[in-house]
Amino acid sequence: MAWFGMRPARSRGAFAIRSSVAICGILAIAIAFLGRAQASIFDTARAKISDITAPALLEVRAPLLALENWVAGLGTIFSVYRENLELKRENAELRRWQDVALSLENRVRRYEQLLNAVPEEVMPAITARVIGESNRPFVKTMILNAGTEHGVRKGQAVADDRGLIGRIYLTGERTSWVILLTDLSSRVPVVIESSQRRAILAGDNTPMPALDLDLAGGTATPETAAEGDRVLSTGDGGLLPAGVPVGVVVKDGFGLRVALFAGSAGDYVRILEYGVPAPPSATTRATPASVGLKPVASTTSTLAVSTTLPPKPVAAQAPLGATETAEDR
Amino acid sequence: MADPIALNVSRLLGAFLPSLSAVLLVMLVNLPVSFTGGLFPAPLLALTAIYFWALVRPDLMPPFVVLCVGLLEDLLSGGSPGVWATGFIAAYALVDRQRENLAGLAGGAAVLGFAAAMALAASATFVLTWIMYLRQPPLAPLLLASVFTVLFYPVVAVVLGWVHRRAVGALRMVR
Repeated sequence: MAWFGMRPARSRGAFAIRSSVAICGILAIAIAFLGRAQASIFDTARAKISDITAPALLEVRAPLLALENWVAGLGTIFSVYRENLELKRENAELRRWQDVALSLENRVRRYEQLLNAVPEEVMPAITARVIGESNRPFVKTMILNAGTEHGVRKGQAVADDRGLIGRIYLTGERTSWVILLTDLSSRVPVVIESSQRRAILAGDNTPMPALDLDLAGGTATPETAAEGDRVLSTGDGGLLPAGVPVGVVVKDGFGLRVALFAGSAGDYVRILEYGVPAPPSATTRATPASVGLKPVASTTSTLAVSTTLPPKPVAAQAPLGATETAEDR
Repeated sequence: MADPIALNVSRLLGAFLPSLSAVLLVMLVNLPVSFTGGLFPAPLLALTAIYFWALVRPDLMPPFVVLCVGLLEDLLSGGSPGVWATGFIAAYALVDRQRENLAGLAGGAAVLGFAAAMALAASATFVLTWIMYLRQPPLAPLLLASVFTVLFYPVVAVVLGWVHRRAVGALRMVR
């Protein structure tokens, strides 16, 4: 008996079908290599689709996200008591660190006054809402509801309150796509804070990207990277702003990896305006009403690039730079 | 005697339903949320529709449609264009070669038949991605996605079987 009692219908000539299959197969492989070499046509179509579907995605995401959170919450019911104890312990420890941080902050401020140091510029940021995520075997991306008309440009870094998430690789007029640090094609220059050793953070679609010390020159030694060391972004190549927290070093059986600070995407992320100057056509800024974006509620960001001011909504940004150096995906 | 206009419309609807079901499944799995908190990749439900229709109504699921569905999958998922299109075409080629054998399978064996097509599609995309990125992609997410897709196949097959009996087959049998 056939599956569900169905028999295959009579097909067209076997030769015609097989020729079509072969042609389509060759076409698909050709598109794959063409798309890798020159993705602009496909990217434009992708950006147009996300621009058109953005309002629908925004509406659809809210109830589905609530359902997703509810489903995820089911798994934690039985561990609530243990987690509560753990959180209390962590909270007590963090209060101690908060005292240390406040004390050090005051000391640094006094030193800066004594030295008459130029204060660090606070990096402006565009706050955008996450309207889509893609978790496929070879792809880890995110769609944001801010695009070129809000000043978003290819190559900009994207972070949440805890750390770096990824960078913009495709911009539409009202939406943009983020390639996550965990994506297979993501390569980001980083530095290990304790040893100041440069490395490349290489995504491989696992939750913890690989830390490639060899690619950055030299070989790994126990002194250059120890488990628990903080990893920060570097400004090397003008790719990303320097000093954005990325994660901590962990060791697995095959080498070093980085446990990212940034968790699964929340509702809002910040697009850091750094060094990737705008093309002439992307200098028009939107009004808050036209954009509908809100600043992130938290005013105590842990990001090194913006520790004193909350992220600004789209309309409150400083003018962008002038020259184009957007790098390819 | 049936109205010729209604007849043509019903034939047209019947002819488009298989492609439409594959497109809808692509859109469904590319909804902007993950119910597993991003731990597990989404299943490739479009392949279940391609396999099903390529098996029971190959005249309504030609290779060009499979290519377009694969490209749509790549487009909406944010992946490199052509990767899943190649995988889907590979699975379609298997079904085309082994149609009589695969269509004769029932129950668990039918699911195993689909698993073979899924394995071929996954292998094709894995090799292609490896060549394109010059780096071995991780196997675990692909295996998980493949297993999920195979687990979903019986459910999708029941629904598509109903569509086939009630809509596609019936509409196209109008004389």
